[in-house]
This record gives sequence, C-alpha cells and structure tokens, in this order.
Amino acid sequence: MPVPSSLALADVLARGDVWRGDTLASLPEAAIPSGHAELDAELPGGGWPRGNLTEILVDRGSVGEMSLLLPALAKLSAEGGWLALVAPPWQPHAPAWAAAGLALERLIIVQAGRNVAWCVEQLLASGGFAGVLAWPEAGIDARALRRLQVAAEGRPVFACLWRSTAVAQVPSPAPLRLMLNTGQEAGHGELSVRIIKRRGRPVSRSLALSIPRPGRSSRAVAGPALSLVADRGIAATPVA
Amino acid sequence: MVSRGRVLVGDLAARLAGVCAGQKLSTALGLQPGLMVFERDELREIKALESLACWAGRFTPTISVVSPDVLLLEIGSCLRLFGGAPAIIEAVLAGCAEQSYSTNWAAAPTPLGASWLARNACAGIHIEISAMQAALADLPCAIDEWPGEVIDRIESFGLKRLGDLRQLPGAGLRRRIGNQPMDDLLRAWGDLPDPQKPFAFPESFAIDLELPARVEHAEALAFAGQRLFAALAGWLHGRQLLLRCCTLHLAHDDGEKTPLALRFSEPAADEGRFMRLLREHLARLQLKAPVEALCLQADELLDKPGASAHLFEQAATGEGALACLERLRARLGEGAVQALSPMADHRPECATFRHEVVTCSPHDMRASTAVGQHRPLWLLPNPQALVECAGRPQWHGQLKLLSRAERLESGWWDEGEAGATGDVRRDYFVARNPLGQWAWVFRDAQGWFLHGLFA
Repeated sequence: MPVPSSLALADVLARGDVWRGDTLASLPEAAIPSGHAELDAELPGGGWPRGNLTEILVDRGSVGEMSLLLPALAKLSAEGGWLALVAPPWQPHAPAWAAAGLALERLIIVQAGRNVAWCVEQLLASGGFAGVLAWPEAGIDARALRRLQVAAEGRPVFACLWRSTAVAQVPSPAPLRLMLNTGQEAGHGELSVRIIKRRGRPVSRSLALSIPRPGRSSRAVAGPALSLVADRGIAATPVA
Repeated sequence: MVSRGRVLVGDLAARLAGVCAGQKLSTALGLQPGLMVFERDELREIKALESLACWAGRFTPTISVVSPDVLLLEIGSCLRLFGGAPAIIEAVLAGCAEQSYSTNWAAAPTPLGASWLARNACAGIHIEISAMQAALADLPCAIDEWPGEVIDRIESFGLKRLGDLRQLPGAGLRRRIGNQPMDDLLRAWGDLPDPQKPFAFPESFAIDLELPARVEHAEALAFAGQRLFAALAGWLHGRQLLLRCCTLHLAHDDGEKTPLALRFSEPAADEGRFMRLLREHLARLQLKAPVEALCLQADELLDKPGASAHLFEQAATGEGALACLERLRARLGEGAVQALSPMADHRPECATFRHEVVTCSPHDMRASTAVGQHRPLWLLPNPQALVECAGRPQWHGQLKLLSRAERLESGWWDEGEAGATGDVRRDYFVARNPLGQWAWVFRDAQGWFLHGLFA
C-alpha cells in the first residue's frame, strides 16, 4: 500500500504501535527486575515481563532454575502480590520458600491434575495474581498457549511456564523464551541462560549467571568428595 | 389459577378461550377442557413477596410489604446514590424481570398514591405532588381496599373519578362514605401523614423455591438458584452482613435432600460471585434423582466492616485472587488449592503444613527463616533410595557431597502412627551430580536417599 508522501518516515516510526526490529522493545508494563544485572540488560524492558507469557525451557530440575526467579518472586510477594504454583512436580518445602522472602500465606499451590491450562488461564484472567508459575503437560499445544497469552495480556502478572528443552524448536506464542543449560560446560556455581526468543534482535551468546548455591556458607566438605572439592579451589576445612 | 372454585387469573391462551376472572371452575373447564388448574397458595405468595422484599434490600433500607401484593420501596433517600429516579426504577424493574416476576409499578410522593397508581397500571414517575394528584384524579373510584357498599354508593352519586370525589365538601362526604375511605383519600393526596410499617429483614436467612418442573440436569438449577441468590444478596445488603458459608439444599422427588455447601475464601456479599461459584459446583454435581425444590440457607455470617469507597474509580480488572481460587477449588475438589505455612518440626517432611487459603494477618516468619536458608525448595513426596557405588551415592552419575553432615534425628512422639514420619536418624548432605543438579541427600541405617532438590 503506498504511503502518502506528506507522511514523513520519522513520524511513522515515532508512533507507539510501530516497532523497529533493531531495538529492544520497551514494554508499557513495568518489568520486574530479575535481580541479575546481566540478565536485566538482555531482557526487553529491563526485567521479567508482566502481562506476557515467559517460557523457561529446562530438562532436568534442580539446576538453580527457581533461584533464578526467586529475587523477582520475593519482590512481588513483598509488594503484597499473590503467587501461584500450578502443578509443581515436587512438594514445596515451606521453610525454604519462607527463607527466600516469600509470604507463604499468599503462595498458593494448585494441584491441577489434567486441568493445568484451564487453571492457569483462570488465574491469569482473574487479575488478582502477581505471579503464576506453571508446569504444563508436555503435550500442551500452541492453541492452549495462545489462550494463556491472551489471558495474560494487559494484566500486571508475571506468567512463567516451565517446559522441556525438546520444544525449543517448536514455535510458541510466548514473547520471551529462555533455555537453561545444564551440564559441565557451565561453571561450578553458574547457570547458563540462553534467550532463544525475545522482542527485539536475537541474542547470540548465552549468559552465565551466578546463582546462590546451597551449602557454601558452611564451607565444609565431608566424606568422599573432599579431595575433589579441594582441587576446585574451594576453601575447605577439614572436618571431623 | 383458582381460589375457592372460582377462576382468579388465566394466561393468554386461557383468556383467548374465553376464560376470565370470577368464572366458576366448571364453566372454565367447559370452555377449555385442557385447562391446567393451579390452586392459589397464599402462603407462598407471602413468601414470594418477602423474598422479593429481601432482594429489594439492595436498593433502599426502607421497604414495606402491604399484603397481599404490594411492595413499597422508599427511594427518595437513595436517588443520589443511584443517579436519579429513572435509573433506580430501571434497575428494580430489570431485577424483577430477571426473576420472572411481572410487575405494575408507579413512583409517587405518597405510598398510597403510588400503590393506587400501580394497581391501575398507570406506570410513571410523579416527582411533584401536584403531578401525582393530577394522575390520581383520573383514577376510577373502585379502590380494592374499600368495602363494596361504599363503592356502590359512590357510583350511585354519579361519581366516576377520584377527582370528582375530591371536589365534594369533605365533612359531608365523610358522613356518607365513612372514615376509612375518606382518610385513605386524604393520605393518597398527601393531606394526612401515612407512616408505613417497615419490613423487618429476617434474622436468619432461609428461603425455599419450588421448581415449576422437575429438573434432572444440575446445570439447569443455576437459573432457579439465581432467584434465591438474588434475594440472599439483597438481604445481606439490607442487614449489612457478609456471607462466609451457605448451603443449598436440593429436595429430590423421592423425598431425600442433597446439601450443597458453598464456602467462600473471603466473606462476600456479591451475587455475581455466588453465581460463579454455584455454576462451578453444579457443573461437577451428579444428581441422584430429579430435583423439585431448592432451599437456600445462610450458615455463617459476619458483620460487614465499614469501608470508604475510593475517591477515584479504581480500575478493577477481573474478579480478584480469592474469588478465582474459590472457583478453582470448586472445579478441582477440596484440597487441590492450598497455601503453605511452616511447622515447627525439624523433620523436613513435617515442616510444611498445607491448609486452605485464608485471609489472615501474616505469621511471624523469622523463626523459620534461619533454618530455611539451608533447606531445598522442593521435597520429594517420599525419599528415593539411591544406589551406592564405591561408597558414594549415585544419582544420574556420582554425587559429590558439598556440605558437612547435618544430623536430624528423633521423632519418637508420632512413632507408629499411621501416615506419620516417626523416629528418624539421618545425616543430610548437599550434593551435586555431574549434570549440575543440586540435591539434598541423606544417609541412614538403610543407606542413601534423595530427599530434596535445590532448584
């Protein structure tokens, strides 16, 4: 369609609904600082987005994936927001969540059974939640994901879906997708995060984020791992 | 509809067949043999009027029931709140239509004037007293409450309209038609005060509704339930109460009753919220037998705390967290939607207490925070036994132990109880496997176990 010549290109580009591919999109909803400066620099809006789906792809749990989110969740909880965990794969251990700074009386565990997508949609659409983390079934289809994205749109909610890395090549309506790399290539206390989709130019390199790890403060090593850990240069004091 | 063998009122089909009020039932059946006859039940009429009065509690606190069929709402004091007389009347009429009541209405400065105008189907808003008097003057003299002989006598005077009656000298008219009709006339015109007996909202709420037909599908009950919940919402508003729990009894045609308890995670008084929760419950309900009546009973009530409205309209989107959780619980079943709180128990399995979501003041978490820093976010439902190889536990490869052993033991107090953890003696370690997974493992007399995951 020919653009009328009286319209200058700069005017068109200044419009709010025109997005230029070479800039990171600035989102109208205030993003939630992730607590990791390197990650904030790469995330559109400078943090975890509100009102959009975020997919985090990780194959095996317990690599520090939740610690990645904890600073943001603690912030949401401290502001009085409600958080919901839908169909978590394991049982939450209350003292640890409380120690992470989450208000437990506003942390809801939903055992959704086969209704995960329905539950997440209801929770997002209710507008009463600040954060919804869900572990959907492996077979969740693009149609269901799109419904969730529509439910989240325009609401100040951080919506995060945990999915397997097997779906990394499958298109998804989520505007932000991250893949957590596990395995030996990541450093000892580090978590390798690769942003595989975001609003803006693609990211080429993966980020190595330092995640607080358990057991460091005791600075002690026991049993058979003593020599290995000592080799890695961790201050290890002999134990009885 | 018949009463004492005479037809009271018939529907359109009956009227087309020539059935009219006052006919003998035998005549009516002669005219239309297929007539369905219902005996008039005055008790149910009164109950219906009272439930409508309860419902009207949302519009005004001053309501009077004038038997047999008049409901007076004093709206003069609520005009500002609802934005004028037309708005409030529109809302009342829409509500009546929603509950499938057909109404005649009128708004006027005197209660008697309004009820006479409504009785004669002169719907209209008469704010000025002179406008109402003009409308009243046009009404026929046959007022239902007056004795028949008075009406006959007025007719024999040759007076057709109330306006003609008003023009006669008062003292002489009083001698001829008696005190009561004369006083009524003065009250209607606003010359005598006319205090009304206010409707007292019942102390407890329990109303029945007999269904017009037997209902076999639970979803179909939502429509009938709406009428009950509308009355409940009005009653709650009138008494300034909030509802925490109510029960809907479904009376089956075999005489049994099924109670359906509706619990709200926070006290509520909103009809829409009641209905959303009811629909979720009905969607899961399997009826044992067809339902022929409903009874709604308010179980737990509490006083509504006063709250100021916001000066600026707050953009509320969606229904809010607690209302949403209620619906999820209704769909997923009890125990599927829970909040956590820490328990003072050193055994990890016992340190988490799951309970229903409640709105309460936050607990003091500081006591549990210190120990929680060294605890994993996730626990396995049951400790998973790990293979030991060359003295080291294996979980997706060899586990490296990264912390000093933390001894957690004892628990004799629930030893032997069903489902309890019992006495334990375990050494816990933070461990990491070659895949970069951080785990919480323990060793006891039986060997190595994986118990938690640091996520």
